[in-house]
Amino acid sequence: MPGPLFQIARSGAAASRASLELVAQNIANASNPDYSRRTLEVRELVGLSFGSRDVLNGVRIEGISRASTEIVQQQARTSAAELARADAELQGLRDTELALEQSRLFEGLVEFEAVFTQLEGNPLEPALRTNALETARQLASTIRFADTTLGTARTQVQDAVSVSLNEANLQAAEIARINQNLSFTRPGTSGEASLLDARDAALRNLSELVGVTATFDERGAASVRLADASGGPGALLVDGFSSNAIGSSTNADGTVSFDVGGVGVAPVRGALAGQAAALEAQADFQTQLDTIADEVITRSNAAQATGSDQDGNPGQALFTGASASDIALNLTSGRQLATAPLGSPAGSTNTTNLAAFTASFGADDGPIARTDALLLGLSSRIAAQDVTRTGLAAIAQNAEATLLTETGVDLDTEAANLIRLQQAFEANGRVLQVAAEVFDTLLAIR
Amino acid sequence: MSIVSNSTGAFYERSLSQLSDLRGSLEGLQNQISTGVRISRGSEDPAAASRLRTLARTERLADVQEDNADKLARDLEEASGEAQGVANLLARARELAILAANDPTGESGRAAIAEELVQLEEELFDRANAATLTGEPLFAGTAAGPAFVREADGTVTYNGNTDIASVPVAPGTELERGITGAQLFQFDQGGTTSSAFAVLSNLSAALQPGSVDPAAAAKAALDGLDAAIDNTTRNQTVLGTRLAWVEVIQDNQQNRALTVAEQRSDLGDTDLGEAVARLQQTQAALEASQLSFARLANLTLFDAL
Repeated sequence: MPGPLFQIARSGAAASRASLELVAQNIANASNPDYSRRTLEVRELVGLSFGSRDVLNGVRIEGISRASTEIVQQQARTSAAELARADAELQGLRDTELALEQSRLFEGLVEFEAVFTQLEGNPLEPALRTNALETARQLASTIRFADTTLGTARTQVQDAVSVSLNEANLQAAEIARINQNLSFTRPGTSGEASLLDARDAALRNLSELVGVTATFDERGAASVRLADASGGPGALLVDGFSSNAIGSSTNADGTVSFDVGGVGVAPVRGALAGQAAALEAQADFQTQLDTIADEVITRSNAAQATGSDQDGNPGQALFTGASASDIALNLTSGRQLATAPLGSPAGSTNTTNLAAFTASFGADDGPIARTDALLLGLSSRIAAQDVTRTGLAAIAQNAEATLLTETGVDLDTEAANLIRLQQAFEANGRVLQVAAEVFDTLLAIR
Repeated sequence: MSIVSNSTGAFYERSLSQLSDLRGSLEGLQNQISTGVRISRGSEDPAAASRLRTLARTERLADVQEDNADKLARDLEEASGEAQGVANLLARARELAILAANDPTGESGRAAIAEELVQLEEELFDRANAATLTGEPLFAGTAAGPAFVREADGTVTYNGNTDIASVPVAPGTELERGITGAQLFQFDQGGTTSSAFAVLSNLSAALQPGSVDPAAAAKAALDGLDAAIDNTTRNQTVLGTRLAWVEVIQDNQQNRALTVAEQRSDLGDTDLGEAVARLQQTQAALEASQLSFARLANLTLFDAL
């Protein structure tokens, strides 16, 4: 009987063609990073048999299967999130370094020390006194500039935090929407596969912004929690069809705090974690900068208070202010610099007071040493962070490569499949031809 | 059926990151060569950057200390010149005193000597009030005013103080700027403090016509003059020694400046030979990577279809 033979060949040709279409789809998406390789699941079709005879019915298309591996994906997400955290923190620290180095704070302090040391050699020279006063004015403005640039660097990171936060909340909402769509979609369809691709892409984007862990139900709907430092279950971001937004508030020292539904959270991975860490570092450097400014003001004014100026009057405060943002020059003339000890007559060339001041200013706990320590601390931290980042980048790259090996498209494999399926299609066509010939042979019997 | 697949996307990703790493390090080297600076940001080498900051500070302070030492040397030379003048002047006064002590020198001769001694005392007063090039008194200690003042009765008294300002000329080294007028012009004679001015004016007064036994007075004045000359010579030695010290310090400053500059260059400047060699090496690696990438990327089964 040629009937089943036609049926078998037809189903075979249909399956081969469907597979060929998928291969074409794979090739077309070879460079799409969110695309996961598809294969056609087929099953032998056997009819119900009555009696001793088997009824063969060819092949049946089961559905489209999408290469996916949860563990590797979670690893790739985690390592990408770690890398994003290191990147964001490094970026914030680098901006800080640029701000503090560009302000030339250290050079300003050294110049200040130098002109006052020079004044010791020739304390009554009007040009040197004016120079010393102008250098003090320059120093005050340098410190204020450093404060401003540090503030600008902080604002940049804060802006980045709000951008990241918006994006993260959008991605979480997107995942909730995909969850909903998944529930309407028939399993095994290309529609489902494409939704799952979108789900994985959104999850990856989300975890690069803020570290998350995800679990999936049997339909592939994701339940997303914030990664927690203690390893326990974190705050719930996406649950079924609804998502919870992450909120943030800026503290007085410029650092940010995050919350989900009013409960405070601390992201451990992702760009937001890195940006928060950078802001904390910047708050620390701001404190150090304010200490340096305070040291400059306190030490200068203390020295002025124990001395007499060129006209024999007790010295007035050199600077006003108490922090890096409000330091300003107080004196108006070089004659007011108190180089001589208190009680000295006008025109004294005694430089004991000045010598004590330059010694105190250049001391190991003075502002110059503190500035060097600040810059050294900052640059060491960046250098160390850079090493960490390089390591994390290697891990992330490796995880990404592993993921691509599992889910990506290999053009060579697809080319081989193309040939194989083409042959399969041709072979099925040949079966059709044979079936026709068998039919003709039967008809030709007389 | 399980296939170990080699994802095409992963291949391109990997090649791209390798190529961009190589390009990044090439650009870093190019930057080092064109700017001549090895460390453009502190984080590239934190320890060296901190060391460079310390060296920059040392260099700046050394500049100032060199200025200070130059000024100090000038002041000391000036003081030493004045002290030499004082010594010559006192020697002449001693000659005159010996002449006056000789009996054959008559009353008119003594009067002429007394006149010259008055002149010498005037010159001594001028020298005692000499000023530095920048206008401060040389021998007043740290006081502002003239070092010596002449009272209404003609006596000269010291108006300065006994403090000597010190000048920082090297890390941890401060040198005293000079000597006070009290040191140079006042001395101890037989338990009482006398001054060169007093000796000269007493002698010239004793040689005025009508004095009782001017020859004996002149003899007696010789002791005072000897003490004054001794004192001046001693102070000349002090000034000379200090000047020599400043010169040694100036030599040291120059050597240190060289050392500091050398260290700075070692730490912070690009080693051109090394940088160029590494540039070429990296360039060769980049070119080879690009070539092999192009070959590998061309290798696809689709060409065989």
